[in-house]
Amino acid sequence: MSATVDHGLAAPKIKGALRQRPPRGILRARAILYGILALVLVTVGLLLVVSVLFRVKGGVDLLVEIWPAYIVAALAYIAPRGYRDRKLWAFGLSLVIGFVLVVGAVVMSYLALVPGAMGGTAAGSAAPGASGAAASGAAASGAAATGAVATAAPAGSAAAASPLASGATGAATTASGTIDGNLAFGLITLALLFLAFGVPLLWGLIRERSFFLAAETRHPIKTAQEIEAETGGFAEITPVSASGSGDTAPALGLPSPVAIATGAVDPLVSVRGLKKHFPILGGILRRRVGTIYAVDGVDFDVYPGEVFSVVGESGCGKTTLGRTLLQLTPPTDGHVVFDGYELADVDPDDMRPLRRRMQIIFQDPFGSLNPRMPVSDIIGEGLLAQGVTNRKERDKRTGDALEVVGLRRDYSRRYPHEFSGGQRQRIGVARALALSPDFIVCDEPVSALDVSIQSQVLNLLLDLKRDFNLTYLFISHNLSVVEYFSDRIAVMYLGKIVEIGTVDELYRNPRHPYTVALLSAIPIADPRRRRSRLVLKGDVPSPAAPPSGCRFHTRCWLRERLGNPEICATEDPALRPMTGDAHHRAACHFAEQISESAVAETVETQDVVETAAAVE
Amino acid sequence: MTEVISADAPRGAPPERDILLDVRNLKTYFKVLDGVVPAVDGVSFSLRRGQTLGIVGESGSGKSVTAMTIMRLLDIPPAQIDPASEVWFDGREILGLPMDQMRRIRGNEMAMIFQEPLTSLNPVFTVGDQIAEQVALHKKVGKKAAWDRAIESLTLVGIPNPERRVKQYPHEMSGGMRQRVMIAMALSCEPKLLIADEPTTALDVTIQAQILELLKTIQQRTDSALVLITHDLGVVAEMVDNVIVMYTGEVVEQGTVEEVLVEPRAPYTMGLLESIPSVEKRGGRLSAIKGVVPSPFNLPPACRFEPRCPYHWERCRTVPPELYLSGPSGRRARCHLHTPEGAGRWPAALEAHRRALATGRELPVHDATPGDA
Repeated sequence: MSATVDHGLAAPKIKGALRQRPPRGILRARAILYGILALVLVTVGLLLVVSVLFRVKGGVDLLVEIWPAYIVAALAYIAPRGYRDRKLWAFGLSLVIGFVLVVGAVVMSYLALVPGAMGGTAAGSAAPGASGAAASGAAASGAAATGAVATAAPAGSAAAASPLASGATGAATTASGTIDGNLAFGLITLALLFLAFGVPLLWGLIRERSFFLAAETRHPIKTAQEIEAETGGFAEITPVSASGSGDTAPALGLPSPVAIATGAVDPLVSVRGLKKHFPILGGILRRRVGTIYAVDGVDFDVYPGEVFSVVGESGCGKTTLGRTLLQLTPPTDGHVVFDGYELADVDPDDMRPLRRRMQIIFQDPFGSLNPRMPVSDIIGEGLLAQGVTNRKERDKRTGDALEVVGLRRDYSRRYPHEFSGGQRQRIGVARALALSPDFIVCDEPVSALDVSIQSQVLNLLLDLKRDFNLTYLFISHNLSVVEYFSDRIAVMYLGKIVEIGTVDELYRNPRHPYTVALLSAIPIADPRRRRSRLVLKGDVPSPAAPPSGCRFHTRCWLRERLGNPEICATEDPALRPMTGDAHHRAACHFAEQISESAVAETVETQDVVETAAAVE
Repeated sequence: MTEVISADAPRGAPPERDILLDVRNLKTYFKVLDGVVPAVDGVSFSLRRGQTLGIVGESGSGKSVTAMTIMRLLDIPPAQIDPASEVWFDGREILGLPMDQMRRIRGNEMAMIFQEPLTSLNPVFTVGDQIAEQVALHKKVGKKAAWDRAIESLTLVGIPNPERRVKQYPHEMSGGMRQRVMIAMALSCEPKLLIADEPTTALDVTIQAQILELLKTIQQRTDSALVLITHDLGVVAEMVDNVIVMYTGEVVEQGTVEEVLVEPRAPYTMGLLESIPSVEKRGGRLSAIKGVVPSPFNLPPACRFEPRCPYHWERCRTVPPELYLSGPSGRRARCHLHTPEGAGRWPAALEAHRRALATGRELPVHDATPGDA
């Protein structure tokens, strides 16, 4: 099923791949190791405070006594560093720490539960100091494992610290050969925690071995620094002279079809076979009971300087496509190549320099701005994440961005509720723009706005595109806006692209029955052009159970007209080039049967009231 | 086409028989902490039996409040209806009717379709219960007959398997299906007047097409009058006979749909039409109405559109414009351009409008005005 690479697109040129997203076991190991570190530090701090403030005798001695804990803590600090660079020694180090934890747990439990063993150990051990040290080290590090819990639930950290203290004390007393009930209790607690956390850590590390041992991938792997160096640091945006130099109508920058065909222009974004499936969880055990095929195999190229639009009804996966493309949700399958870098399941840390260059503007200007943050923080957050730590510098860039989108610089101290819908959307645009990106995903940026405000924001987007050489992926359900705004359009239906082409081709000469119906459904604000519409039957089927064969066949008027041919229900049509233009492609078995007369006849015979008779 | 404005029947006298709904100088205010919001500020229109009227405006223009006032669905207080306002429905003045009599009319002779079918249907009753309740109440029929009527009206709106669907809850249906249920509910008592408040705004284009065609067919079949409230000029163009355009609680323009959309006379309507994106404007900028709708607490003193109007002059800041007659058959526009004083400016304005429609208009790049905060 997967092998059909018949999307008619050239293989994207790839400069380099990024390192892969760390597997879950590694992330968990990282968290636990940092937990250990945190707990040791807290313990030492507490011990210091207690012994100095309250003049507890032997307090400082205790600090010396638990020296193995320092070693464990240092290792716990070093190992995650090693993960970052995929070093094998980091894996080994983790194993050692895990081993110490588990062995420590066993020894301690034994000591605690079998009173007789205590004396035996103290007496029988050839090196009491060493055994005590091992025990105390295990105690410290073991209690540190509770740190992993503590990081999950900060409230528990105080509670976790006290058994640690008692554990450490216990370990100290072990050396001197005495024991009490508290000690036993503390040790049993520790032992249980080891079983709960030490074992999964080890198991996770063993399972994710491949993370370290993986051979070189197909492409050279680049680090964040290398990418940063290759793509250049990020420039400040300068407010363009707001002259509005009227006559320079923005040449909509679609590279000529010839340039695309000969490969003269490399696409900025290439998407190949992109899939995003969401699990439907059900039952008490939250098991996977189904799958939503939100995006199910999508291929397209976006060329620099163009506006590429994705249209479709709600639930067709256009928003998910935008988010998956930006790696805001990891894709289930498929590749995204952005400016030559392959972004499939990459490490979020390494994504950062590329993240800056690909931004998103969200649909809902009321929901996408944090009501508790002033505008300066909303816009500055991205800058901070990109390493602009200087407050003044950040404020300057924030102000610049605000000015560029037509707001006043001093608005940056205000909160989102003080702005109208159109102004909020401008703030959303400023947030994306502050990082001087190359590529912006506009996810329905105007659908929540009134008509008069909508055109203001569309104008702004076009101006910015011209002034900053932006490329847009424009997601919308409004076909009139898309027709005005874009260079090329992809029509999506239930997670797949059913037709793709330039605006002119698609609107003048639609080659998929769904596109025809969509275009026919646009209400036109001119009573002189009142016409009958082609009305589709029923609703969009659920993306959890897409129809077999062609996904549109349950609502297709063309299929009905042709006498319900079998092939529509059995075979998924490929997105094939239409005659005349190689870049106009449609996924329909009978694309050639579409003509104006066919549409007109269908319109005449349709029964409007019965059109709800959907396939259920 | 018949005129939109009533034949100026004397105050307190019923309109002629042919006119189903006659709204005269309707004013609805909201008293809130910050002051008084004039949500509807002197709206008049009338609607003949079997006709369709479109009310167009942006959010906050008072179109929904107009509908709610006619249906008497507003809580008083905070809402206040000016005592001089009159709404004549089918020969009766309904603003002064006692509540129990109003209840007999509402849902029975006039019904409303709301914008969000999910929030306006009760989630804990089946759709059949909700429709049958209304039928049983108004038509004084038994449970069985009401239930049958519910199934019948679901069939009327084209819901497949009505016998099964009638026992389902709203959440089991899709958005388009729920909107069909809303329409079925509104139609179940065969009302003379149907008010649809943004019936398709929450729906996808293909579903919107279904619902609009359905409304059209049903209106023809039952010969009821329809008030369609929307912000979408495209929907208006396809559905209605007459249009009123509202801005900040006032009517700024009215006329037949051909008159208003093809030859707009109020600058606000002209701006709305210019700002619709179209193929012809590709490559150029869209002409946008600059600025934002003024805050209801801080309305401009004279013409409320003046701060955003490209054609304004000093008279617009001093004299509040009336609804001037600018053509035959009850065609009106609230703009000084249609007074003798402004007549000289009108040709230039019309020329600018034509140009903007054809190509999009060049406006300053940074056309956002400082906030209304």
